[in-house]
Amino acid sequence: MDARVDKTLKITTPSDFEFAMTRQFDAPRRFVFDAMTKPEFLVRWLGCDAMAMPVCEVDLRVGGRYRFVFRSSEGIEHELTGTYREVVRPERLAFGETFSMPGFTSDEYLVTSTFVEAGGTTTLTTTIRHPTKEARDGHLNSGIEKGVEPAYDRLAEVVAGMG
Amino acid sequence: MPLDPLSSTFAALADPTRRAILARLALGETSVMELAKPFDMSLPAISKHLKVLEHAGLISRGREAQWRPCRIAPASFKQADGWLGNFRRFWDESFNRLDGLLEEMKAEEAAKAPPRSNRKVRVKKEKQRGRTRG
Repeated sequence: MDARVDKTLKITTPSDFEFAMTRQFDAPRRFVFDAMTKPEFLVRWLGCDAMAMPVCEVDLRVGGRYRFVFRSSEGIEHELTGTYREVVRPERLAFGETFSMPGFTSDEYLVTSTFVEAGGTTTLTTTIRHPTKEARDGHLNSGIEKGVEPAYDRLAEVVAGMG
Repeated sequence: MPLDPLSSTFAALADPTRRAILARLALGETSVMELAKPFDMSLPAISKHLKVLEHAGLISRGREAQWRPCRIAPASFKQADGWLGNFRRFWDESFNRLDGLLEEMKAEEAAKAPPRSNRKVRVKKEKQRGRTRG
């Protein structure tokens, strides 16, 4: 592993409506782009350890749609669906996305990813823009695994894990 | 620039001393004096950290006693934990798996393409062959 590659996930809130994730990968950007846009790759990494991904459909072109379904061990389904707005392999990807789970469907939010390669390392920056601050905060708080674990019970564990 | 609540929460959590203070407070409320003991820090220095934690809403300071006990503020911490435990973990886990997949993709491509040095040699040989024939 290259020591110059910082594999920590950084999450920031550049504005009231947005949050951004930054992550580096020790690979050329065409690989990262393909891994994020081809079903045969997506099913192998996207999701939580405890969740299956029974549906992974991608129509990768501007105006094309995608649909990812995650199913928890209790059979609860979470769905991400969206429409591609920009597809510029391997440097830029943008789509409008909606998240839904039983009893909840989000408004559409805009997801823009840039893939910047330097010295064989790819920096992925994904900005997620919501129509309101409340929706953004909800996205950060609700997450896909809501209810899997009572958050407060793990307080000490989280604090210890951050050391 | 004023930070929004989550940003100030994470700014507060970015410091190892403050995380240690929180870990201690997770066990129960205590005084500033008691908190300062394991850190080999002056009381003003500890007070400064406590102010940051208090501002971020991660702890509260009692007003009822002269020694102003420090304790974890459950609501705010729940927010930060929910954020970490759900959204962040989803992407952390996913991206860690992606690292593994990318290694495979690199190895596969390397296996398909002949090593660069061999390719150069072959080109040279072909040119020589062309020359002798011509």
